[in-house]
Amino acid sequence: MASALRYAMSRVLSVLLVLGSVLPAMAGLAASLVQAASPAAWATLLATPGLWRSLTLSLWTGTASTLLSLILAHLAVSAAGIARRTGRLRSFVLPMIALPHLAVGIGLVLLLSPSGLLLRMFSPWLTGYSRPPDWIVVQDPQGLALILGLVVKETPFLALTLLGALTQVPTERFLDVGRTLGYGPLKSWLVAVAPPLQRQIRLPTVATLVYGCTNVDLALPLGPQTPPPMAILLWQWFTSSRIEDAGFAHAGTVLLVGAVVVCLAAVLAIACALRPLMTRWATDGHRFTHDGPPRALGMAGSSIVGVLAMGAVVALLLRASTPMWRFPAVWPVSATGHPNGFASLADPLTALRTAAIGIVVASATLAIVWSLSEWAPCKAGRSRTLTAVFFLPLLMPQISFLFGLSWLASALRLDGSYALVAWTHLGFALPYGWGVLSTARAALDERYLQVAASLGAGPFRRWCSVTLPLLARPSLLAASLAFAVSTALYLPTLAAGAGHVRTLAVEAAALTSAGTLHVAAQSGIAMALLPLLAFAIAAISSRVLFRRFGGMPR
Amino acid sequence: MSRAAGPTKTDRDWAQVQARAAGNTVYFDAWGGDQAVNRYLVWVSDQVRLQFAIRLVQVKVTDIAEAVTRITAEAAAGRRHGGSSDLLWINGANFASLQKAGLLYGPWADRLPNSGLIDTRGNPTTVTDFQIPTRGYELAWGTSRFSLFYDAKAVAHVPRNIAELLAWIRAHPGRFTYPRPPNFLGTSFLKQLLILTVPEHAALARPVAADFKRVTAPVWVWLDAARPFLWRHGRLYPPSGPAQTELLATGEVDWTMSFNPLDMARAIQTGEMPDSIRRMAFAQGTLANSHFLAIPFNSSHVDAALVVANFLISPAAQARKADVSVWGDPTVLDPTRLPKVDGRRAAEPADPSDTGANEPLVPDLDPSWMTALEQEWLRRYGTQ
Repeated sequence: MASALRYAMSRVLSVLLVLGSVLPAMAGLAASLVQAASPAAWATLLATPGLWRSLTLSLWTGTASTLLSLILAHLAVSAAGIARRTGRLRSFVLPMIALPHLAVGIGLVLLLSPSGLLLRMFSPWLTGYSRPPDWIVVQDPQGLALILGLVVKETPFLALTLLGALTQVPTERFLDVGRTLGYGPLKSWLVAVAPPLQRQIRLPTVATLVYGCTNVDLALPLGPQTPPPMAILLWQWFTSSRIEDAGFAHAGTVLLVGAVVVCLAAVLAIACALRPLMTRWATDGHRFTHDGPPRALGMAGSSIVGVLAMGAVVALLLRASTPMWRFPAVWPVSATGHPNGFASLADPLTALRTAAIGIVVASATLAIVWSLSEWAPCKAGRSRTLTAVFFLPLLMPQISFLFGLSWLASALRLDGSYALVAWTHLGFALPYGWGVLSTARAALDERYLQVAASLGAGPFRRWCSVTLPLLARPSLLAASLAFAVSTALYLPTLAAGAGHVRTLAVEAAALTSAGTLHVAAQSGIAMALLPLLAFAIAAISSRVLFRRFGGMPR
Repeated sequence: MSRAAGPTKTDRDWAQVQARAAGNTVYFDAWGGDQAVNRYLVWVSDQVRLQFAIRLVQVKVTDIAEAVTRITAEAAAGRRHGGSSDLLWINGANFASLQKAGLLYGPWADRLPNSGLIDTRGNPTTVTDFQIPTRGYELAWGTSRFSLFYDAKAVAHVPRNIAELLAWIRAHPGRFTYPRPPNFLGTSFLKQLLILTVPEHAALARPVAADFKRVTAPVWVWLDAARPFLWRHGRLYPPSGPAQTELLATGEVDWTMSFNPLDMARAIQTGEMPDSIRRMAFAQGTLANSHFLAIPFNSSHVDAALVVANFLISPAAQARKADVSVWGDPTVLDPTRLPKVDGRRAAEPADPSDTGANEPLVPDLDPSWMTALEQEWLRRYGTQ
């Protein structure tokens, strides 16, 4: 009786927890749906010139970049896994994840555009250009620069989640079996290791696709303008001074979300249709022992991503250091310029406030995901439902929450409060934390827990001394991801904080609203520092813990 | 929905306003994209803290439309008191939106002790905002003139009118552009073209009418002729005025534009610009407007907002604002009211390249023009 009651209570509590954590975002969504119900708004929306091209562009850039990132991430992880150098790969991708999207976008513009670092290095001595040529490199109408930017940002993210999932797959055993049967390591990996890995990172892949189709941060500096991707159109309407524009912006949001869902279904259907091909390749008996060239090619592909990211950071640092960067000088020469943007970004109070909110959000994410994943793993269906709920906030362009969230905050008299800001952030951080941690929990070998139970350990002790240590690494990853997500959130912070809660992201967005690359470069660097610190702390703790639990299965 | 205003012109009433204001916080929603403005507002915060014991917090918005959205949401949620914003830096369509929805406090702007110093006769844009009478719901804070700048090293023969500018653009492919509408400066460039190509300015003082196509036809002819010779062949445009100014500083283009005639003087001083930048004046008329302060209907601290607003139009604050080494935003006050700095009144142009002292000013057009021009621009150039 008591246990039934406890079960019912924990169930009610869990449902409340789940619904509560996504409530702020859902309120925004509800407001969007209500406002999108007007036929007049739809008529105006559908009459927008270039609407279908904008929509196609969003889906094309999002899908292409996700597929490309996924392939590159798998190639990088397989190469590292085969060479037993996953630790090195991890320390290579972590700092790339800490870079905010904005910083990557601006950095690539500064690297690749005609007046960018790349051409400066060869001008005028080789190219003969003393003034930048009038080429369209970034913001090309096909969206290739945007795809490149998304790939640079998303490949490390997917590689990291793959590395996290690696702890749950007996890689060495699979490779050994493959070798015994005479298969080359690459084929062994692709046939035996990659599919279970991919199953574990299904959610982060979906999140990547949705982000790719709906982002503003990268589409603004890198995406085409005539017409722009759909999310940029929505952003322009939502921030328009004409209140009536918000009406068809809401309708546009519903259209974009619908299109992304259809696109997602199509991608999944294609993936299912391709499965027999994969099976045939796996069972054709070809041993594929000479896999040196394709492995090198894969490494080269993912290395280019790393080189581009590093080039972007260098360009960012150069641009941030001077207000006037005249072509074709590589080094800033202006001596009179003063570093004007750093002043307000380097305000220690703003950084402290941002970090405090991030720590609260990361802790809450861990607490919620830990408790829910203890409740969910027994039933796959329950886990899927939870996942769907958690992912709702990521399925809506953030811009659409602005009005509904402001309304909710104002009605609850919570606007401008830190509590509401952290609560709102939680809705965006949870899917990442859940994606990393729940799959790791589900893949946990239950026999360890059975052994502990047979030794007389109660549920709490089992969790503390078996589950938690086994989940230490994915937990640290989940916490630092949640922290990074929180520090980077701009629109939700603005809406929940009524502009009174000044975080680094809000400060940076205000400063970069003038659209100048110099200040944007400074903001990008300032915003990268906190998550970089968080990932560094997580990496060091992970190493320390790993030493202690060195004898445990990886 | 607007509440009756508190202050009247008697000294005793104002003393009471000041007494009630002390110890309160004013949240000032102001665009945060310009560090010079942000630094100036830090100085203002220090002054009002020392002089009136008021805590002034700049809420740095990316666009004041953000605050308009927030205030609209607060009104929808029934928040009639204790709103999140106390003072707004606003003009044009955003003011029109809030005013139409009855979401502004007032009238108050003509009842401050310093209201009388504003040069309403010499500068009519201080009391009409995009052709809409402010009626005391907005206090003029600064004034703007549309300004086109060029690099004298690259432009040997300065165009004197719009036809000569077009000839220059066609002779120098890829070296001219303008911010992409609906960016407000890009749309303002279209309005400036309209002023320069339309002989009958009377039609421009009214809201857009059925003859929009006919009236604006010369603008589209000009833009069609220029487009293939623009930067990036007119397929890409800079996102804003400051972004285009940065393109000029980098060496990608030879022209930029701004609403502040003193912008480049400041940028040259801070080392953001080469010192060869000059301003091109239009003898046929320059688009001019003012930017304003307004108080939301549900401001938490109206009295403190009034005291801050009164300080912002005081001669001392206006002189400092007009100083190009601080911000360089021209004053709204009668210039003779300003204190002298280095033997010269701060409102006088400090920039030798500013040749537009005698250009005729054309008050900015009704907000309906902005919408119509944006739509037509997007229809013509937005998808190719």
